[in-house]
Amino acid sequence: MKISITAILFMTLFFALQSHAQHGEHEHNHNHEGQVAEPSAASNDMGNAACEDTINIKVSGLVCDFCARSLEKVFLKRSDVAGIKVDLGKGFVAVATKPGLTIDDATLTKLITDSGYNVNAIQRGCEHG
Amino acid sequence: MKLTVFTLCCVILMGYAPQSLSRPVSYPGGWTVMQKNDKNAHSLHVHYSPTAKYSIGYRTEYWREENWQFHGAQLNYLVKRHNAPASQANFYLKGGLGTAHGDLGVPDSEPQLAAFADIALDWETRRYFTSYENRVYYAEDIAKFFRQKARVGIAPYIGDYGDLHTWLMLQVDHITGERDNISVTPLVRFFKNEYLVEVGISDKGGILFNLIIRF
Repeated sequence: MKISITAILFMTLFFALQSHAQHGEHEHNHNHEGQVAEPSAASNDMGNAACEDTINIKVSGLVCDFCARSLEKVFLKRSDVAGIKVDLGKGFVAVATKPGLTIDDATLTKLITDSGYNVNAIQRGCEHG
Repeated sequence: MKLTVFTLCCVILMGYAPQSLSRPVSYPGGWTVMQKNDKNAHSLHVHYSPTAKYSIGYRTEYWREENWQFHGAQLNYLVKRHNAPASQANFYLKGGLGTAHGDLGVPDSEPQLAAFADIALDWETRRYFTSYENRVYYAEDIAKFFRQKARVGIAPYIGDYGDLHTWLMLQVDHITGERDNISVTPLVRFFKNEYLVEVGISDKGGILFNLIIRF
């Protein structure tokens, strides 16, 4: 029992340090030229989406990474979506639509609700809260 | 008495800290596989969510000491979800219906009707987590008992989307029936992307290992 708790504590410390190091890298990447969103993993990637193809959605309830995977699953199966980026810290979901395509507010609200969250605001373009 | 005190503690806990990460209901069209093991039993639950309100799936359990197993269908229903700017709370009802097989290995042991009903509540922020769940089992002559568990958890660091997330948790289990007891299990939960793993060991020496994968 004692050994297990000690092992758990060491594993936690290891992952905490690893995460801290990753955050350092993220901060560094954010400082480049005020890009809308930096490319990261393929499934959580806005790529080089133009401002007119970017939708920023402020949502509530966005607290858990594992649960928020539903956002990717719901949005990325649509043919009009090019990419998605989730920001747990700010409670924002950025959606990149394919050039020339858009998604109306009612559909966005339904997609967010289906993913398990509530929409607070929808903003189109690069600038958001 | 034990049951009353434990239930009261859980209710108080939920009152002070108004989620389950394992989410028994997923997004429309989503599949989830949950494999759980503890000192009492091993279980496998595979479910599909037609809508964001409910899921339906197959469940099997094997209870080690009593040597019986359950096979059946399980329905999970999201009664209420409360999304706040920095937290989420959920209230689920679950039910299962199937057959129980006791005295494994005995040729003339007949399967019996079995069912369970379950209430689950959870609340979490990015830092804190709490949940409570109970279940009533009925399996004719094989088993009849009540089980409840409560959890509290804290994230030692706040990870970004896509990071490896870690939670330190404490789970308290209470089970009635032949093995009437309360056990305490410290555990650690890791998740990254669609994979969640929990590892712990109870004060009774039982190993806890849970794995959840979402598709």
